[in-house]
Amino acid sequence: MKKIRLVLVVLIAAGAVVQAQLPGAAVYDDWRRVTVQGAVTRVEWVNPRAYVFVDVRESGGAVSNWAVEIGNPLDLEERGWTRTAVRIGDVVSAEGVPARGDVRRARLLSLVVKRTGARVFAGRAAVARPAAVAAAGPTPRWPDGQVRLGAPAGRRGYWGAASVTTMVESGVSVPMRPDGLLVNLSDADRIAPLQPWAKAVYLYRQRTLAQDDPAARCLPPGGPRQFHTPHGFQFVEQRDLGRILVLYGGGNRNWRIIYTDGRPLGQAAEAVPSYFGSSVGRWEKDTLIVESVGYNERFWMTSGGLPHTEALHLVERFSRPDLNTLRYDVTVDDPRTYTRQWRSVWTVRWVQDRDLEEFFCEENAESTFIR
Amino acid sequence: MPTRAFVLAVACALLAVSLYAQEGHPLTGTWAGDWGAPGGPRTHITVVMNWDGKAVTGLINPGPDAIPLTTVAVDWATWTVHIEAKGVNAEGRLEDIGSYHRRIVGTWSQGGAKGDFKLTRD
Repeated sequence: MKKIRLVLVVLIAAGAVVQAQLPGAAVYDDWRRVTVQGAVTRVEWVNPRAYVFVDVRESGGAVSNWAVEIGNPLDLEERGWTRTAVRIGDVVSAEGVPARGDVRRARLLSLVVKRTGARVFAGRAAVARPAAVAAAGPTPRWPDGQVRLGAPAGRRGYWGAASVTTMVESGVSVPMRPDGLLVNLSDADRIAPLQPWAKAVYLYRQRTLAQDDPAARCLPPGGPRQFHTPHGFQFVEQRDLGRILVLYGGGNRNWRIIYTDGRPLGQAAEAVPSYFGSSVGRWEKDTLIVESVGYNERFWMTSGGLPHTEALHLVERFSRPDLNTLRYDVTVDDPRTYTRQWRSVWTVRWVQDRDLEEFFCEENAESTFIR
Repeated sequence: MPTRAFVLAVACALLAVSLYAQEGHPLTGTWAGDWGAPGGPRTHITVVMNWDGKAVTGLINPGPDAIPLTTVAVDWATWTVHIEAKGVNAEGRLEDIGSYHRRIVGTWSQGGAKGDFKLTRD
């Protein structure tokens, strides 16, 4: 009879990294480790988080079923994992980070299938992604010379990993975890020029491990957050219609329209407040400048919880210095939240010859299958 | 007696409301509740507050008998809220800050009477 056991190991591991999938820090206790050994009873290969379920025989003989979160299927496939890598009935040994509270749930760090001896997964589910790679080609352009933000003619592709997973003022470097939580709360003043109320709210969200993050409830990643949310985005430039569609792979496959037909920017008080605001864009040489107002207050504009109000006015500058790199430069103007305007800049890496894949945040809402 | 289906529908409606939290200034919004002396009758109150970037302005009991707020101050270190209006002086504390239905609970003085109050954001 196979020896099946559960070993709980408490580790004092300062600086442990949590996954970027929200609300990781609020769900999992990164200071602890758990080893789950037993037979696989179910494989949930769904977005946004895939799970394997393992029957574990505890020391008293009782069997409990553990839900082991293995990561996002799209990310796992990039690492060579397939949906058949672990099958029902396989005996596995999984090391992971246990969930907080009295639940049988863990986030996987590594897993070995005893049938093959293969370690089919190793590493954290999500860490800060690499910055844009070196240039692999010139900036694609339309026949009239204007920069193309989408794929070159006859090719496919989309914008994938951002060089950041959260947002801070340009030029500022403070230790942060990939999910936007500060390593030192005393750095809050450096993140952005927060008004006193905004600092208090930001610190509250940090101290509570972002447990109230609307994105964790699958609400749209409005504002700058849309460009550092996992699973990418793409531009569809409808030049004849005077607009650019931005389609998002993350969130809930949301989309946004940037009008380039010369219409004026709506005033915030006149617009119906929305997650993506009302946007108008214009080209200045090789840079698309987009101004937006009309945001609602129902989202956090970055992971980690920087607040804003309906007075938010964003000026976004998109440029493409080469085929593989999108440079995103945003100026945040919200005098009700910040003491002055401030900027943040990052890059996004091009994914060549692939399309955005289906991703629905809501698909495996926990209440539907995690007991 | 409400049916289970009715209770479920109400629960779903409340959940749907809770999903649309207001994530801006913690005081902005419409707050409803009551005040009164312990053991005595309760008086309904509605307070509307809005952050304009420099100050919180608003009204108590909007309508023909509305009382404009004259002072709203918050100690962000303790989340205590001080509210003044003509004939009204209230001191409370913000609770459940991350929730749409956050609360302010404290003491309320009006017209020479003093009691406790509880406001919940609608």
